[in-house]
Formats: sequence, C-alpha cells, structure tokens
Amino acid sequence: MRFLNVALAVARKDLRAELRARELLPALAQFVVLALIIANFAFDLDLVSGPRMSPGILWLVLVFAGLVAFGRAFAAEKESGSLEAMLLTSAGPASIFAGKALASAALLVACEAVLLPAMAVFLGSPISVAVVATVLLATGGMATLGCLFAALAAQTRARELLLPVLALPIWVPFVVVGGKAVQAAMTGQSLTALPLSGQPLVILADFDILFLVVASLAARFVLDD
Amino acid sequence: MTAAIRADGLVQRFGALVALGPLDLELATGKRLAVLGSNGAGKTTLLRILATLARPAAGRLQLLGLDARQERERLRARLGYVGHHVGLYPALTALENLEFFATLYGLGRPESAAALALVGLSSRVPRRVEQLSRGQQQRLALARAVLHRPELLVLDEPDASLDCDGYQLLGQLFEGRTVVMATHDATLARQVCDSALLLQTGRDAGDPWSWHSGDPSRGVARVGVS
Repeated sequence: MRFLNVALAVARKDLRAELRARELLPALAQFVVLALIIANFAFDLDLVSGPRMSPGILWLVLVFAGLVAFGRAFAAEKESGSLEAMLLTSAGPASIFAGKALASAALLVACEAVLLPAMAVFLGSPISVAVVATVLLATGGMATLGCLFAALAAQTRARELLLPVLALPIWVPFVVVGGKAVQAAMTGQSLTALPLSGQPLVILADFDILFLVVASLAARFVLDD
Repeated sequence: MTAAIRADGLVQRFGALVALGPLDLELATGKRLAVLGSNGAGKTTLLRILATLARPAAGRLQLLGLDARQERERLRARLGYVGHHVGLYPALTALENLEFFATLYGLGRPESAAALALVGLSSRVPRRVEQLSRGQQQRLALARAVLHRPELLVLDEPDASLDCDGYQLLGQLFEGRTVVMATHDATLARQVCDSALLLQTGRDAGDPWSWHSGDPSRGVARVGVS
C-alpha cells in the first residue's frame, strides 16, 4: 500500500509540474506532428501507400518521442538535487522509480493521443481497439526500461548520448512484436493469425511484467549509488 | 553521553584525488559541529558521507548507533539533509512541495503545514517555489529537512541566502538535535555550534582558531570535539 502511495505521489507530482511548466508536452506534440509531415514528404505517401507505411512511421515516432520524454525524467531531478532529497526519505527507490515510470508513460500516452488521430487524418491509418491496446502495452514496457536507462544515464555527463545507446537495442522486442501487431490490426488481419508464438498482446504484456520486475529490482542500484 | 557520529579513518577518493581523510570524528548526541574550511577543503564530501548519500572509499562510520553502510534506509528516516541545491520543485507551491515529501515519509498534511509555519513561510502557501526568493527557498529546504523530526541534521551551508531572522531560525531548528553544518561564516558557527572542525585538503587541520574568512577576529574555537 505504501509502495503504491509513494509511486502515485511521485507520478502526480511529475504530471502536475509538467502541466504547470509545460516544458515537455508542447514540444512532444510538435515533434509528433512534424515527424508525420516529414514522413509524408520523405516517403511521398498517398492514400494507398500511407496506411501500408503507417506502422513503421508509428513506431519510429514513438521510439524517438520516448527518448525525449524519458530523457528528462531523471536529468532534471538530478540537476536540481531533488532526486537526492527523494532518496533520503524513507520511501524505497523502487517506489520512486515506479512513480517516475508511470508519469513518463502518461506523457507518452498523451503523445500517442496526438499521434494516432494525426496518422488517421494525414495517412488514412485506421484506429482500432487492437491498435490502441498494442500501443498502450508497448508504452508500459518502453517506459519502464526507458526510465531505468534514463536514471542510469543521468549519473553521467554524456546522458543525451547514452540513453539512446542503452535503450534502443532493448526496445527492439517491443518494436518487433508491436510492429507486427499494428501492421495486422491496420490491415484488418486477426492478431491471433500472426506467426508469433502466442498472441502479440499477451507477449507484450509478458514483456511488461518481466521488465517491470527487472527494473524494480535494479532501481535501488541505479538510483542510489 | 553516547556518540551520535563516530567515524574512524574516513577516506573518500575521486579517481586518484584523495578528497577527504583519513579522518576520525566523534560527536556526542545533541551536540552541534561546524565544519569550516576553504573551497575544496572536503566539507561537502564529508557531509555527503554523513548524510549517507556517498559511500566512503575506506573507513568506518556509525551514525546514531547504526552502521552507515549496512543500515542506510533505517538511518535515513532519522536524519535530515540540506545540500548545495535546495532540491525543490519550482512549478509546485511551497505547501505542495512539503506535502509531496511528507507522503514519501509516510506523514500527512498537518506535518507539512507545521513545518511551513516553523520556517515562517505560512503566508507563502499559494506561491510557487519559482516565485520565492532564494532565501525563502532555503527556508523551505530547511522545512523539508525537519519535516519528519530527524535526530541528526546534516546541513551544507544552510546560512546561504538567509537573512538575520534566518540565523535565529537555524538556532530554533537545531534545538534538541545533533547537527553537523558546513559554513564559511565563523561568527555563525560560534553562535549556533558547540564545536568546530577545520578541514584543509580533506584532512583535520587542527585548531579552528587558525581559520578565518578574511577577518582574523572571526575565528572559532574548537570546542568539545572529543
């Protein structure tokens, strides 16, 4: 119960600060729209090729938006000394980490709330429950791992360089499984018909649980040197 | 009287640089120690070790009767720390900041309001931290440090940006607590502390009388460091 209280307090604090300061959300929304415009011209998309290319564009935009969103999660706290202040409380590092990951995931979900409708408008990509569920499940795991590496990178000087180097390879499973699932959902295929050992949503949920456990165990060592 | 702090042969290294020690230190419960010294003398390094934020490269440290290496979490619930950075959230109000940290300590709203009143910021409740002066932010950081009624206070230049009333506030906050405080103000050290430790290139440099910040008459005595 205390774990949950602390995690929710950390997430609430991060989101409240972001809503007031508006440092990240407008930049992310702008990035999403610009990325779609660039993709539109770079791939010379039309009504036929647009929906076909959509899954790839979706994951590219999500991955890079994620790097921006997660990169700031711990860097700002580290610079201001508030991370130390949090760690000096009796709250455990794992609960603090969970709260940060929750807030970062919420930011990425806000990004997706702009991205998916924008893709539907600009590229004619269909939005379905399967697409939304896939993206949300991938977001959970990506946020967990992204925040873990962001916390690690925040301890170094080259944090902007280190985060993509660490996070991108580990996000590959989400992109592979999520990419196939979104591709199938957007072309009207059943997700159960995919050549994956199990349903992609179940696999993504498994990844989420696995990485959540790993990140919770690693949080103490990453946050508190 | 039991020792609140007992350090034997504390050493801290950053690469090849020995930033602190070897240093022995003992401070009785309820006593207040001022750590003096020039920039780079090792004051912050020592304080970060005492606050359990850094692990020493060598040596043993006992705080409040607990081993600082083994019992870090239990210790943290009993100590308060203010570092160089205030460690507050600029977009949140003064009260929201304290309420957030109160939740992390497992405390509630009344404790936050009481801590805010203690540092004289009750009238600044609706203001965001970014709208407060540096001195008021420092007061708020001090309020956060005493929110959970710690037995040991570790403060890195708590007098930074504080006005004259702020000096009195420090005296108030120190009541009944063991305090280790780094400062460049020897007069303040003499006013609010029982003893002083002079650091020079990470080592105990002996008689703190020898240290002054410009004016030799502002030296402090080394009292009661046993």
